[in-house]
Amino acid sequence: MSTAANMVEIRNVSRAFGQSVAVDNANLTLQRGDFLTIVGPSGCGKTTLLRMIAGFDEPSRGEILINGQNVASVPAYQRSIGMVFQKLALFPHMTAFENVAFPLRMRRFNPALIPELVDRYLSLVKLDHLAARRPHQLSGGQQQRVAIARALSFSPDLLLLDEPLSALDKKLREEMQLEFRRIQQELGVTTINVTHDQREALVMSDHMIVMDEGVVQQSNTPREIYNRPGNRFVAGFLGVTSMFKGRVSAIQDGLLSVDMGGVTMTARGNDALFSIGDAIDCAVRAEQITLLEEGAQARENTVTGLVRQRIFEGDRMVYEVRVEDMNDSSLYVFDHNPGKHGEHDVDTTVRLGWNAESFYAFPVVK
Amino acid sequence: MSLIPSKKWVLWSLVSFSLVTLSLPTIIIIGASFTSGDIIQFPPDGFSLRWYERLWELDDFKDAFLRTFQVSLICTVVAIPVGTLAALATVRYRMRFQQTIQVYLLLPFTIPLVVSGIAMMILFGEIRILGQLWPVGIALCLINLPFMIWSVSSTVNGLDPELENAAHSCGAPPVQTFFAVTLPAVMPGIITGALLMFILAFNEFLVSLFLTDARTVTLPVQIYNSIRSVITPDLAAVSVVYILVALLAVWLLDRLVGLDIFLKSR
Repeated sequence: MSTAANMVEIRNVSRAFGQSVAVDNANLTLQRGDFLTIVGPSGCGKTTLLRMIAGFDEPSRGEILINGQNVASVPAYQRSIGMVFQKLALFPHMTAFENVAFPLRMRRFNPALIPELVDRYLSLVKLDHLAARRPHQLSGGQQQRVAIARALSFSPDLLLLDEPLSALDKKLREEMQLEFRRIQQELGVTTINVTHDQREALVMSDHMIVMDEGVVQQSNTPREIYNRPGNRFVAGFLGVTSMFKGRVSAIQDGLLSVDMGGVTMTARGNDALFSIGDAIDCAVRAEQITLLEEGAQARENTVTGLVRQRIFEGDRMVYEVRVEDMNDSSLYVFDHNPGKHGEHDVDTTVRLGWNAESFYAFPVVK
Repeated sequence: MSLIPSKKWVLWSLVSFSLVTLSLPTIIIIGASFTSGDIIQFPPDGFSLRWYERLWELDDFKDAFLRTFQVSLICTVVAIPVGTLAALATVRYRMRFQQTIQVYLLLPFTIPLVVSGIAMMILFGEIRILGQLWPVGIALCLINLPFMIWSVSSTVNGLDPELENAAHSCGAPPVQTFFAVTLPAVMPGIITGALLMFILAFNEFLVSLFLTDARTVTLPVQIYNSIRSVITPDLAAVSVVYILVALLAVWLLDRLVGLDIFLKSR
């Protein structure tokens, strides 16, 4: 028996449905008490992976260990896993109290202790005053809280969240994100969250996995993944990212000189992946680009372009700028203080600059 | 929301017209049943309960009523498990020939009742159960089963597809999941379907005509037989009994499930 320092361990797990591969050779380890978010566009395999962990689906290959035990032959109802479902799946004929008590009854907790436990978890989600209501008599956010209490009341080894926040409006969703995080930290329960919302992934998790087309693209802390995207997909998926095509003209110490069409720029990339003459993709995030005022000092990469679109987002102004020198590509740039800097009109020329450090180079994916 | 007066007027007249046309036959038959004369007429000739008293004395009608009740009960008791399981299986679980089975179960709708009636009469005759009461109940269950299946299916369709998985993640094994979660969750559809089956069986005439004889005649067939001799106001009184049974069913439905599921589109 393993000592199970890792609560969850996934080894070379694949799942195919007929011809299509939903999950392709996924590996991950999750330490006790950690909050992991699996993020990716719809159809990336994140839900399939979660369902295999829950026991609703079986891997075609590979193995899943929970608390050190291979769960291949353990049915879902014998795994110690609490789950909050996308549409919550509360039991419509039971009150909030009965919903939360259900897992305790099914798992044969001492009947005398059940009311106290239910009360404790309903107050944890701040819903103790509505215990007698049926799900349809509760608001969306309140139903959410019942679902959380139901998933946690029996102190599972592992909590799974299957995009439970996706149906809520923005304000409530952000409130619930923090609520989930508070409860998770309070109880210290190991949690896997699945979402397509990058903000949710960044805000809530200790650890983050980005998936696309069934493949784990990158696995690290949110900060590392955001600041050091491992490939073109991850760079484009997180944040507001502009992509350019270029060709490597020189390589030195992790810095590439890239011929972008009219200008040569400096980008950051792993030396080993490139050789001179390669076609590459370069990416820069909107917040890394500075609108250079007249007379301002040039950055490592400086271009001039034409404002094509101006979008007011309240806390910031977003400009879409076309740069002739970069194969007529468009890029997005934020101005977080439009009041101070003044607005740039459409069809006026602006000068933009960003550092080599925030200009990521990736090999072109075939 | 306020309506333009002319629009309001048109709407109201349409509604009242529909209400009157729908309820007129019922009102006439109720009125006629209280007549003190010897023929069915409206407005009634005076007021009396004599035809209800006569109905109570007519053993033919009373026995037919009890038999009909029995037949409807058999029909409903059989329909509940069969219809519920069929609906759950065809909607909820992936299985082979799913579509074929769905179409097959709805087949009774496409066959004219005369054909079903004759077919079952021949079949029941062959296996020598014609002339008993319970086969009539089974037959009525068979021809009306699609209603039961529809009723349960519509509830099943409204359920969260992950409901059973949620129960599993709560630690409930399959059998307990079925009895503690699935079944209670579809109960509104089962109750609705069961009451529907009961009323339909209670009213069923054509198939019963083929399957009953003098000893097993049911109420609708009994009424039909009496129309062919003399039409007396006791028939109006029987009709009122029918209306009462229907009202009772609606009242039960409202108490058990709530009528708003029919009035609200979800």
